[in-house]
Amino acid sequence: MAVAVALVVSSAVIAQAPPSQARQAKSPWVYYPLDTISGDGGPAPKRDLSGTWAGPGSTDAIPRGAAAERPSLTPLGQQVLSQRKPIGRYGPAGTNDPTARFCDPLGFPLNFIYQNRAMSVSTMPNRVVFLLQFGGFWREVWTDGRALPTKVGGDDRDSLDPTYMGYSVGHWEDDYNFVIDTTGLDERTWLLRDGTPHSVMAHVQERWTRVDHNTMKVAMTIDDPKMFTKPFSLGTYYYRWVPNQKINEWLCVPSETLKYLQEQGDPAGSYPNGEPQRLGGGGRGR
Amino acid sequence: MAMGTPLAAHHGDAAYSDKPNEMKGCVVTEFDWMNPHSLIKFDYKTAAGEVEHWTMEIGSPPSMTLLGWSRTTLRAGDVITAYVYQAKSGVKVGRTNKVILADGTVLADRDDSTPSRYGAEPPK
Repeated sequence: MAVAVALVVSSAVIAQAPPSQARQAKSPWVYYPLDTISGDGGPAPKRDLSGTWAGPGSTDAIPRGAAAERPSLTPLGQQVLSQRKPIGRYGPAGTNDPTARFCDPLGFPLNFIYQNRAMSVSTMPNRVVFLLQFGGFWREVWTDGRALPTKVGGDDRDSLDPTYMGYSVGHWEDDYNFVIDTTGLDERTWLLRDGTPHSVMAHVQERWTRVDHNTMKVAMTIDDPKMFTKPFSLGTYYYRWVPNQKINEWLCVPSETLKYLQEQGDPAGSYPNGEPQRLGGGGRGR
Repeated sequence: MAMGTPLAAHHGDAAYSDKPNEMKGCVVTEFDWMNPHSLIKFDYKTAAGEVEHWTMEIGSPPSMTLLGWSRTTLRAGDVITAYVYQAKSGVKVGRTNKVILADGTVLADRDDSTPSRYGAEPPK
């Protein structure tokens, strides 16, 4: 009876699977996002995040974490935010989101909050390296005990350049919790999709927890007195092990974005005061 | 677990009508499987015999792959029935509601049962 039920359930799943994936023979060169891992895979390895992971929004199999808190902006933060036109309200034609219009890098931490549907993590002797699917970016987190820089983006000769990924140091708080501190973030990047800004010396802290072999999560907070009156949570995000450890290329290609804007986004126009609605564009995170 | 509002999607859809046009006998002229959103271009012959050139978007390749689309789903010359939310500006561009292929396969642009992933954005 159990076998019969299992067969019925399994046929139903196959029947609902998208045709392009259901009828394909599996190739080691292909990422199958619907092939999600089952169970916990056993205990978490110690002090290790290495592997290839499916992230938020890749499929419904990824647990949904806590949402970001609403920031309390300083007058400067409010002023910068007031100049930003998020795509959610202005659409592709009216937005000034640099990623939507020009494929500019999302930068950290937005690229861990938005569109991080898959990534790999590699452990090197003195670094943990995050390799992001979206945009093909990487990010280095130094684990050799160095301190974070204190001068970034200033006028002094010894002040470092701001970067899209920032400057990051990490340490294992215990065998399963890896804490990363980051600063030196390029101010051209938006902190959140709604245009919320950050300053170059914002301090972002991430706590990565290896829950079990197949699961890890990260809780992120930001402290940026220039833009916010108090620190706040940027949310919690879950990742699950990718069974064949293969993910696909997913880039923001400027020529494709230009084509999209010229032939679709811009002709459609911008209606910032229109009633918001959601018509299409993919089921799971566009 | 916090749930996000589905309205906080990649981009606002306020530029488009909220009722799809049904257009039968559309002839695909181009299928661009690309980011940030793939484009389907087709010719549609009106009741008056005029041929209109349309462009409609679907989601990004990673999103649409989950819904059964692929780079080879459409080819120039394919005849489809298109359900399109036309731009309010009146130009012949739109967002896709669904497409019915010649063999009867129905491909939607999103899955109504799927919540938005954008739960981590601050509440409005």
